[in-house]
Amino acid sequence: MADVCEGEGERQVPICPSIPSGEQTVWADASSLLHLACNDLRDGELIHGENFNLFAAMSALEIMDPKMDSGMVRTYYSVDEAIEYGAAPVPLSFDKTVDVQGTIDIMDHLLACEATWHKGCSLAQTVFSCLYLLRPDRTSSHALLHSYCRVMRASCNAVVCTVSDTRTNEEEDLFTMTHGLPLKVDGDDKCLTMLHAVEETIARQLRACKAILSKKRVTEDIEPLQNNPDLEEGFCKSLLCRLRFRKHFYHVVTNMKRPQGRGLELAKKHIACCFEELDSMIKSAEFLRSINALGTLEDGMKSETTASGSQPVGFDSTLNSRLSAPTPPRAIETISWKKAAEYFQKLLHELEIICSYNLDPVFEGVLRFVVEFQKFQPELVARAHLQHLLVQDGKLYGRDSVFAVICKASLLPEVAKNHDIQKNETVVQLGQLLITLLRVLCTNISWQRRKLGKILQDWRIIHVQLELAFREEFGDIAATSSNENICMKICRHILIWVEEQTYWIASRFLMLGFELDLYSTGEYCMVYWYIYIILIKLAEKTHMRAMTSNEISKRKGKKKRDLVKDGGKDYQLPPAILFLQCHLYLAEGLTMMLAALRNEKQIYLSTGPFNSEHERFVQHFELLLKACLPDHVSYYSFEETTAHARLSNVSMYNCFKEAQRIAKELRSSFSNDSDKMAELRRIEQVAEHNSVALAEHLRAYYYI
Amino acid sequence: MEMSNENEPEVDIKASEIEYVSYGFEHHLPLIMNLVDEELSEPYSIFTYRYFVYLWPQLSFMQAFHKGKCIGTVVCKMGEHRGTFRGYIAMLVVLKPYRGKGIATELVTRSIKVMMESGCEEVTLEAEVTNKGALALYGRLGFIRAKRLFRYYLNGVDAFRLKLLFPRAEPQPFHSMAADGDDSHEYNEHTLWRKSPLLPTQHVN
Repeated sequence: MADVCEGEGERQVPICPSIPSGEQTVWADASSLLHLACNDLRDGELIHGENFNLFAAMSALEIMDPKMDSGMVRTYYSVDEAIEYGAAPVPLSFDKTVDVQGTIDIMDHLLACEATWHKGCSLAQTVFSCLYLLRPDRTSSHALLHSYCRVMRASCNAVVCTVSDTRTNEEEDLFTMTHGLPLKVDGDDKCLTMLHAVEETIARQLRACKAILSKKRVTEDIEPLQNNPDLEEGFCKSLLCRLRFRKHFYHVVTNMKRPQGRGLELAKKHIACCFEELDSMIKSAEFLRSINALGTLEDGMKSETTASGSQPVGFDSTLNSRLSAPTPPRAIETISWKKAAEYFQKLLHELEIICSYNLDPVFEGVLRFVVEFQKFQPELVARAHLQHLLVQDGKLYGRDSVFAVICKASLLPEVAKNHDIQKNETVVQLGQLLITLLRVLCTNISWQRRKLGKILQDWRIIHVQLELAFREEFGDIAATSSNENICMKICRHILIWVEEQTYWIASRFLMLGFELDLYSTGEYCMVYWYIYIILIKLAEKTHMRAMTSNEISKRKGKKKRDLVKDGGKDYQLPPAILFLQCHLYLAEGLTMMLAALRNEKQIYLSTGPFNSEHERFVQHFELLLKACLPDHVSYYSFEETTAHARLSNVSMYNCFKEAQRIAKELRSSFSNDSDKMAELRRIEQVAEHNSVALAEHLRAYYYI
Repeated sequence: MEMSNENEPEVDIKASEIEYVSYGFEHHLPLIMNLVDEELSEPYSIFTYRYFVYLWPQLSFMQAFHKGKCIGTVVCKMGEHRGTFRGYIAMLVVLKPYRGKGIATELVTRSIKVMMESGCEEVTLEAEVTNKGALALYGRLGFIRAKRLFRYYLNGVDAFRLKLLFPRAEPQPFHSMAADGDDSHEYNEHTLWRKSPLLPTQHVN
């Protein structure tokens, strides 16, 4: 190519560029150069610049390919052109009935767009595909539409702010992309005043029409909403619930943003109102569809984006495609109005759970709450609100300092939280790790598992660093026997808690693998085994923390593992530890049972032509092994434990029996905790089913 | 991704009738592009294909022919990734009527062998979580589901990142695998597509 360039030189040809030549620029005809360059390439050859990597290759678009070129399906070139061609008339019609009908359709389609946005599409291609929202001034003569558009923009803005502030959206960054959209419009902050006025008018119109229907005297002279008296009541009601839903929803999102959870009580009241209005909206579908002579809700509505089943006026999702993403914009499918209503019911339910939360100051309680909350598989908006509540200004609920939380979690006395040690750099870092952990726990579980795997290493390192830092500051912690020194006490407690927390993260990491369907049946044996060894450590650390706090002398003669497993014989272990024991026995039983099935019956084997179980073990637990969780563990430890497992071995049967027994005993300890009770019931069931199956097998083994 | 369609007439073929061919030249490209366009959901520009074919001709575009008809293809690459020499399976397609005959397994197995011989330490790829056929195929070959990628594809479906780690010591003797299911999965290593607008509808097998 270079040869061609040099050989060609410049040739002056008459051209008339719209940009004139300047002092340092001159226009030249490059067609012959291009022609030569083309001849230089054979069919199928590609000039491969160093910077033309896979990313560049995949970013390339083929013009006029409808799969890639969004311009292919464009109706208008600009919003102004669309408006000029009458795509978004104001009013929608001079026939008032048609105007009201059309406005309701716009409201409904906007709800469907909003839900589609919440579920991962861009704001530009969903809510802001509405031409009325894009040109805020145009609707000012249409009070109803204008007020609705305002509250819509304001609500979206509030949600965008919460999500941006919390940065829960690592992988969902499309959500907060608002560049070039009129999201913040002057006057939108007063949207409620305007909405209220419109709501009042329609409420009066409804009263008036009801009065006429019941032949009562009309006290004030009110112009009806539209022309058809038979439809007046239905339209008024349909509009009122839609306006009120928006009003209450706006209150919900703004109240939930208030610091330290101060708006939660109020938000909860508005959520209750939202549910009511949403119900009325769903009920209104019957009326709206009857006008169009369409079937009932159940018949259609599979893909319809409005309750009435009509196509809304004033939307064009292709107009904003240039604003929607850094990559080729693709056609999106708006979810149906029915699905959108269901989505909002789910969202409100999740927000209600957050609003009902008691702001537990104990860290363990926070973790439990977040883990339980994630079981609902909440979408981004709900998770962002949860995170916003948990972490504000670097404090738990914006209220409790991280160090105070750590002290409480480490079972230290109240006085510790004011200790100067919190200024220590490593202690500050530990605080940051804690905040990061809370944030990570609020992300979607796919991302969460990956992040948890990575931060395990950080928790391991901070433990070492803390040990060093404490030694530097206070001397050898282990050498000091009792707790006479508060510094020593703080150090010891925090170190134990950090270890316990690390194992908690590791256990969550492993458990999430089940929820994400990452394990195949052939790998269950090694997964349960790893869960088993992590739970042993977790139970051990939890126990140590409790003992350190209760000043119970350590039983040095016993192995740590025995401490946890046989602890019940000497004195009653706390329910939290017994609960872990339950899981522990179950994991042990399942490991051994699966290993026995593998050894004796050749089922649940983990084989392949290119590698062995060893490689799969290393791959699955790479991050845990790298962080030495626990120390000295390897594939060989797993192999050693499971190689000789036999179905005739009574020990695994005993594991299930033990799990069952402890689960039964624990019922009384957790009678107030419905989640724990449900989990206990499940443990009992699993243990029982497996012990029955094993007993059957044993019977067959011995008697046949 | 697409599973064998039950309405599709099954083609009766013998394993010996399938011919496996490495990428020849540009004239193969339209065949491959048509195959991928027909069977996979993501749109790829011609640059994506050429990127693969000119950099890894020995790996990319291994194809299966039946009586002169191109019925399946695999597209791969190799390279350094965070200090690891790694193979990557970008696309795998077998036409619906020809699935379930071990063709995809054979295509992938051949590619993996080349990667192994070229010194790769591991092989990775992504597949839709709903693509049971592909997941089973790779599971049989020893791939694990290392990660789940949230709404990875344009159609809003999650992906699994699958990984196959080769043993560190001497390569183990290779056993041929008899496969009873085939499927397709497609390339998508980059965050690029993930950030694109996504279709919220569930992809139906």
